[in-house]
Amino acid sequence: MSQIVSMTINGEERELALEPYRSLLDTLRNEGGLTGTKKGCDVGDCGACTIIMNGKPVNSCLVLAVEAAGAMIETIEGLQLAPDKPHPLQEAFMRYGSAQCGFCTPGIIMMAKALLDENPNPTEDEVRFGIAGNICRCTGYTKIIEAILATAADLQRAKSA
Amino acid sequence: MTIHDKTFESKFAVVGRSVKRSDTLEKVTGTACYAGDVALPGMLHGKTKRSTVAHAIIKRIDVSKALALKGVKAVLTHENVPRVLHYGSPHPRSASVTRDQYILDNRVRYWGEGVAAVAAISEEIAEEALDLIEVEYEPLPAVFTIEDAMRDGAPVIHDNGLPQNQVLPPVIVERGDVEKGFADADFVIEGEYELGRPTPAYMEPNICVAQWDGNGKLTFWSSTQTAFMVRGALAEVLGIPLNKVRVLVDHMGGGFGAKQDLFQHEFLCALLARETNRPVRMEFTRKETFLGGRTRHPGRIWLKQGFRKDGTITAREAKVLFNSGAYGSHGPGVTNVGTAALTSLYRCENVRLEGRCIYTNAPIAGAFRGYGVVQTYYALDLQMDEAAEKLGFDPAEFKLKNAVREGDIAPSNHPIVGHGLEDCIRRGMEETGWPAVRRHGRDTGVKRRGWGIGCEMHGSSAYPGIKEQGNAIVKMNEDGTVTLLTGTAGLGTGAHTALSQIVAEELGVPFETISVVQGDTDVVPWDIGAFASHTTYMGGRAAQIAAADVRRQVLAHAAPQLGATPEELTIRDGVIVVEGSNRSMTLAEAVAPQRGMPAIQLVGVGTYTPTKSYSFAAHFVEVEVDTETGEIRVLQVIPVHEIGKVIHPIAAQGQIEGGIQQGIGHTLSEDYVIDHQTGRSLNAGFVDYKMPLSMDMPPIRTIILETAPDPGGPYGAKGVGEDPIIAIGPAIANAVYDAIGVRFRRYPITPEHVLAALRTKKQEVA
Repeated sequence: MSQIVSMTINGEERELALEPYRSLLDTLRNEGGLTGTKKGCDVGDCGACTIIMNGKPVNSCLVLAVEAAGAMIETIEGLQLAPDKPHPLQEAFMRYGSAQCGFCTPGIIMMAKALLDENPNPTEDEVRFGIAGNICRCTGYTKIIEAILATAADLQRAKSA
Repeated sequence: MTIHDKTFESKFAVVGRSVKRSDTLEKVTGTACYAGDVALPGMLHGKTKRSTVAHAIIKRIDVSKALALKGVKAVLTHENVPRVLHYGSPHPRSASVTRDQYILDNRVRYWGEGVAAVAAISEEIAEEALDLIEVEYEPLPAVFTIEDAMRDGAPVIHDNGLPQNQVLPPVIVERGDVEKGFADADFVIEGEYELGRPTPAYMEPNICVAQWDGNGKLTFWSSTQTAFMVRGALAEVLGIPLNKVRVLVDHMGGGFGAKQDLFQHEFLCALLARETNRPVRMEFTRKETFLGGRTRHPGRIWLKQGFRKDGTITAREAKVLFNSGAYGSHGPGVTNVGTAALTSLYRCENVRLEGRCIYTNAPIAGAFRGYGVVQTYYALDLQMDEAAEKLGFDPAEFKLKNAVREGDIAPSNHPIVGHGLEDCIRRGMEETGWPAVRRHGRDTGVKRRGWGIGCEMHGSSAYPGIKEQGNAIVKMNEDGTVTLLTGTAGLGTGAHTALSQIVAEELGVPFETISVVQGDTDVVPWDIGAFASHTTYMGGRAAQIAAADVRRQVLAHAAPQLGATPEELTIRDGVIVVEGSNRSMTLAEAVAPQRGMPAIQLVGVGTYTPTKSYSFAAHFVEVEVDTETGEIRVLQVIPVHEIGKVIHPIAAQGQIEGGIQQGIGHTLSEDYVIDHQTGRSLNAGFVDYKMPLSMDMPPIRTIILETAPDPGGPYGAKGVGEDPIIAIGPAIANAVYDAIGVRFRRYPITPEHVLAALRTKKQEVA
C-alpha cells in the first residue's frame, strides 16, 4: 500500500507516494528522480548513497523513506550554488582530478560537505577519518583528500577576507 | 598536484597539460548518466536465481508457483532459452578463447551460478518469485583447488578433450638452453609462491537495461568496457544481425578489466525484454557482483633461477598454475600473458616456462588489471630480492644490473625501446636515499620498519595475443568546432579527455573546442574495448591520425582563401597563419558557409593497428610491521613510472595512485574466500572482503618519467593503467622482509601469516 510522505529535498517541498518498505535511497532515485545519489551496496557498507538529512550525513540506503517524513534532505543535485556555479567542493574535485569513474563521487562530496560544515578546518587525519565510510576503488584517495583540504583552506581564506 | 620531475615540461600546447577533464563536471554534480540511471516507461525488473550447490545436474526445475505470483511477467530457465555455446570473454580476435558457456545450462558448475531469471513489475516481487522457483539438483563431486581438479578421477567440469581439467593446452615458452644455463650457474634458487583471490570490486554493480523496438531491434544499456563485444555476443547468441543490436554506455562506474566479460544477465535481460515486450532492467546486488562476478586468477607458481657469482642470471624455469574457476573466461589470455611475461623484466637468455589453467568449481576468474602479470612478477621480483641477498648484492642494485634494456626482446617478441626500467630504479634510489634507508631487520621494538623495491613492465595493447585496432572519426563543424567520435570506453580513466587533447594538439585548436561522442555502437567507429592499457596508446593514435586527416582537408580549403599553398600554412590556437607573413584567418572563417561556395564536409578517419610498447615502474615502499598484532602498515610509497609522453599528468597520477590502492589490498588483505566443502562464498560483501580505505592509504609521491617515449604511441605516449598494481605487491613483500626478516612467498600476507611466521622464527632461533 503506497502512502504519501512529505520531505524537503534540496529546498523544495516534495510529496512522494511510496511503499512503506522503500529506502530513502530508492525513493530519491526513483520517486524523487534524483539519480545522482548512487547505489553501490544497498547495505550501508560503501557510502556511495551518502546524503545529508537534517544536517547529518547518512547512508540513504539504511534510512526508510517514511523515517524521513518532514526531514530536510540535501543531495548532490542541490549542492550547486547556481546552475553555472558549482559548490567549492565540486570545483576542487574537478581541479584536483578527484573523480575517476565518479560512482563514489557524489557520496564523498556530500560526506565532505557535512564534515566541513561541522569542522571547517580539519586536519588531514580528520579528513581521512571523516570519509572512512566511503569506498573509492579508483583513486587511492590521494586526490580526494587534497581536494577536501584545499576547499577547507579556500573557505577559511574567503571567511577571513 | 605537481609532477615531481624537473624534466617534465611540455613543448606542446595541449598535450602534457592537466586540462579540466571533459567528464568531470557531470560526475561532481550527479548528472552523469550511468546504465543504472536509465528508467523507461513500463520497465520491468529482472532478477537471477542462483545455485546453492557448486556442481550438479538440474534434475527438475519448477517455475509454476513463480509464474503464478501477481506481478511476475516472465520466467526463464535452461528449458526455454536458446542453447548456444558462447564465449564468456568474447574477443573474436584473440588467439585463444574458450567457448564453454550457455545462457542457462541444465548443469551448474559453481555455487552462485544463475539457474533461472524472473521479470516482474518490481524488484521485490521479482525477488519473491525467485524463492518460489523449485530446483532439484543431482549433486556431482566438486573440486575447488588446482590439485584436486588435476588429480586422476577428478570430475570433468568441461568435456573439452583436454586431460586434468585444463582450460587450454599447456602454454610453453622456451628461449635459449635452460639445461646449459643451470649448468653454468654458481648458485641456484627455487621457490613456490601462493596467490590469493582478489576481486576487482568496482563501485558500480553490474547493470543492464534492454529494450526492443517494433522492428525487432534491441537497444541495450550496459556497464561494460567492451560495448562492441557485448553487441557481438548478443547478436550471435540471440541470432540477430549486428545492426539490430545497439549497445549504449555513457558513464560507467569502474571495471578494472572484469567488465569485459558477459555475466549471464545480459542475455537474460534481453530475452526477458523480448518475451514480455517491455523494457527490463537487471542490476546485480553487491553480493551478486562477488558471486557472479570475476576474480583475479588464484594460483601457484614454482620458479627456479640460476645465477653466476657476478649476479648474472643464467637460467629461469617456471611452472605457472592458475585456477580458472568454473569457466574459461580470460584464462587462456591470462595464462599466455602471465607466463610469457617471465621471459623478461630481468634479463635471462635461457628460459623454459610452462603455464597451465585449470577448471575447478570455484568462482570464475577473469580479466583484472595486471592480467596474469601481477601473479608472475610477484614471484619473480620476490625471488630476485632473495637472490640478491644470497649473492651479497643490494636488491635495487641487483635489479638494476639485471633490468631489461633497449633492444632486449620483450615478451611480445619486440625489441624494447629505451631504458625505462633502469631509469625508474635509479631515480627511485636517488629519491629515497637508497640504500641507507634500508633497515636489514635492525629494528627490535614491537613495531619494525623496512623498505622494499618492486619492479615491473607492462605492455600497452594485447598484441600479439590479439591483433587490435583503434578507430576514430574527427569532424570539423562549420563554426570550426570539432567532434571526435571514438569507440573507446570511458571507464573512469579520463581517456576521452586525453583523446580530445591529442585531437586539439594535432589540429592546433583549443581543447575546449573538442567534444566527444562515445558509447553508442550505432554511431561511433568499431573499437575492441578499454583494456590492456591501450586506450590512449591505440585509440589516441587513431584520433591523432583522424585529426591530421581533417587538418590536411582544412588547409587545402583555406589555402586559396589565403593566397598560399597548404604547405605554407600552420594552425595555432584556432588561427590559420601563413608562415612568414602577417596573413591569417580563423578556422571558423576558413570553414564557414559562404555565399556562392559549395558547402564542405570535413571528416577525417583514423585507423591504427598497433603492435606493442612497454611501460616500466619501480616502486619504493616503506612498511611498519607490528610484531604483536601482525599488522602491516604501508607508511609511504614512492612509485617511479616511465610511461613515454604523458598526455594528462593528473589523470596519469590518478591511475598510479589507484593501482597502488588495489595492489596494497591484494598484498595485505583482499582475498575472496570460498568454503572448500561446499564452494559457498564466505565473504561476498564489503565488510568481510577488506579493501584499503582512506584511513589505510599511505601518502604516495608519484614520479613520472618520459625518458623512453614509444614511436607507436601518440606523441610517444604509452599505457599506464596496469603498471602500478604490478609493482606495488613485491615492493611491500620485500619491505616486510627488510623489517622483520621473514620472506612470505604468498599474497595476501595477513596478520595471521605474520604472527605464525614470527612464532616459527622465534622457535628456530631458540
